[in-house]
Amino acid sequence: MESTTKTAQTDLVAALDKLWTRFLPDIRERVAVVESAVESLRKGLLSTGQREAAASAAHKLAGVLGTFNLDRGTVLARELELIFSGADSLDPASADRLDAMAAELRSVIESRK
Amino acid sequence: MARKILIIDDEDDIREVAALSLESVAGWEVMVASSGAQGLVRAAEYQPDAILLDVMMPGMDGPTTFRELRKNPATSRIPVLLLTAKVQSTDQRRFADLGVEAVLFKPFDPLTLSTQISGVLGWH
Repeated sequence: MESTTKTAQTDLVAALDKLWTRFLPDIRERVAVVESAVESLRKGLLSTGQREAAASAAHKLAGVLGTFNLDRGTVLARELELIFSGADSLDPASADRLDAMAAELRSVIESRK
Repeated sequence: MARKILIIDDEDDIREVAALSLESVAGWEVMVASSGAQGLVRAAEYQPDAILLDVMMPGMDGPTTFRELRKNPATSRIPVLLLTAKVQSTDQRRFADLGVEAVLFKPFDPLTLSTQISGVLGWH
């Protein structure tokens, strides 16, 4: 029984790895949406639509990354979601901090084997 | 006896990971829907033992889908568990007040998702 459970878990982990590979382009695209919003913020050109898109992309990343064992990715994405979905206007001076968070997020994602 | 679960979520990755998890770990039978509207139809046809329902979906969102499920006699008694990545306490209270069986949070652990659902629904 226990070995059956272990086999099922091993199979699940292998299947999850395959799903990760399959969905990685979508996940990277979501990070790109966030990065693009940060870049627009830096230039003082962040539109409401772009901000909402960034909040939505970060929300999706927060929901999925921990599922693939990337808990740090979920923490970063959740923080970015809160910033982009917040009521406060975003100051271009905050772009450096958001840029660092987005860069770490991408690095976490790319580090998954 | 294998349980029958309907997963309603617009995000392909979450839907597939949840389905894979419930099928491979618990041996449950899983059907999926990628929108609230599709979920309403599938729930009535498939008559699952429970529904895992995403909150944020374009078009018909999770809370609206839940209310529609409750209005239809064919689906009104099926237990619904909301699945959300929203962690703010105001959101959590709002979801709990809807009358769903439970609110589960993303990210979930694929190895224990079925145990979580079984625990909430008293399936042992």
